[in-house]
Amino acid sequence: MSALPPHSVSDSDLNAFADRQLAPERAAAVEAALARDPELAARAAEFRAQSASLRDALDPVLAEPIPERLLAAAAPPASGEAGAVRRWAMPALAAAATLVLGVGLGWYGRDAMIERAGTPTTFARSAAFAHALYAADVRRPVEVWAAEEKSLVTWLTKRLGFKVQAPDLNGLGYALVGGRLVAGNEFPTALFMYENADKERLSLQVRKQTARVPTVGARGGDTAFRYAIENGVGVFYWIDDDCGYAISGTFDRAQLLKIAHVVYGQLAALEATGTK
Amino acid sequence: MSPSVTDAALPHPELVAAIPRLRRYARVLTGDATRADDLVQDTLARAWEKRRLWQAGTDLRAWLFTVMHNVHVNQLASFRREAANVSLDADPTGMAWQLPVRGNQVDRVELLEVVAQMGRLPADQREVLLLAAVEEMRYEEIATVLAVPIGTVMSRLSRAREKLRRLIAEPSSGLRIVK
Repeated sequence: MSALPPHSVSDSDLNAFADRQLAPERAAAVEAALARDPELAARAAEFRAQSASLRDALDPVLAEPIPERLLAAAAPPASGEAGAVRRWAMPALAAAATLVLGVGLGWYGRDAMIERAGTPTTFARSAAFAHALYAADVRRPVEVWAAEEKSLVTWLTKRLGFKVQAPDLNGLGYALVGGRLVAGNEFPTALFMYENADKERLSLQVRKQTARVPTVGARGGDTAFRYAIENGVGVFYWIDDDCGYAISGTFDRAQLLKIAHVVYGQLAALEATGTK
Repeated sequence: MSPSVTDAALPHPELVAAIPRLRRYARVLTGDATRADDLVQDTLARAWEKRRLWQAGTDLRAWLFTVMHNVHVNQLASFRREAANVSLDADPTGMAWQLPVRGNQVDRVELLEVVAQMGRLPADQREVLLLAAVEEMRYEEIATVLAVPIGTVMSRLSRAREKLRRLIAEPSSGLRIVK
């Protein structure tokens, strides 16, 4: 099929193209038209970038724990009280209950900021090694099992010297298996292991960071996501407040990034609500 | 088990699974975390009330978004009757404050900017943009959720994106948040 002349690409085409909702044949035709019209291509690219930014900003909401009252509302109503629609919340109450969460968004332009899978730094490399070592251990991947999550967190917090948290990844289908202490740099590293229904494992490792991983120049912030692959283990890692975080697993980059987002969002939310 | 009409029930696990997405959408509709959860709670209550309108086997999430849209529209209407001069529209600059993000990174203004600028879009355009870009719904689903023809979805979406593009390209002086 011959390519479309650029002027015959409508706004609807362009949007549907950006949203990947065009039929394959039409998509190919639009793509060919974009290849010949840089201005059109720039618009399509910008539409996609807008969507990505919005998702980046809003995805962390998905990782927040579901409030009790919403779980209760989702349960089948007892007969008689079905459908008692709650009154509009009193403003004062609403104001008091509003979580004041910070401004400043760490997600912007993640793709631009993620280092191309290049030479892993020591942190990423040791994270990948520790993951490979323990995730492969079917029977004893952790020292303390999730059943004792509370004492696990207390213990690791004590050993690391700062508050650590095991994010809740059940929303992504990963349950906490447990955790352990790993030798890292001069400080110990905490490792939390998670597993999904297919027995695929991922780990979150946290440690104090002395020498800073060089940040990506353009933005200079600490929380640049970086990506590395070491012996088939993918690692997303970032530095925040002198702590290093690494998510490792044998997943593809997109999956791993999604998980990293959720973890970052939860840790940020926990910190913002003062649990740190 | 074949569901009978009289004891129709919603699939509980799917209902719970839909909550995070409902919360996310509600957060932007209302621009406020607590009001958003109020809206989700009302939506769930309404969904149980109207459970016979859901056809088993069809997409529960899309149906829940439809219910939420209606609840929201009704609440806005009744709220406006009670307080004619108070706008419940999301506060464009306040919205980003409700997102769970780090508190100390003012250098990442750009993403904040996109969300803030999105908050300046008219509500109907914002809804379509969110459903398409963030919820990644099919245009036909969006048309159903909002009860508008698909052509309206497309034109709102085009306008939303073009407007957002212009807003981002020429950031207004007042919206840059400096702490």
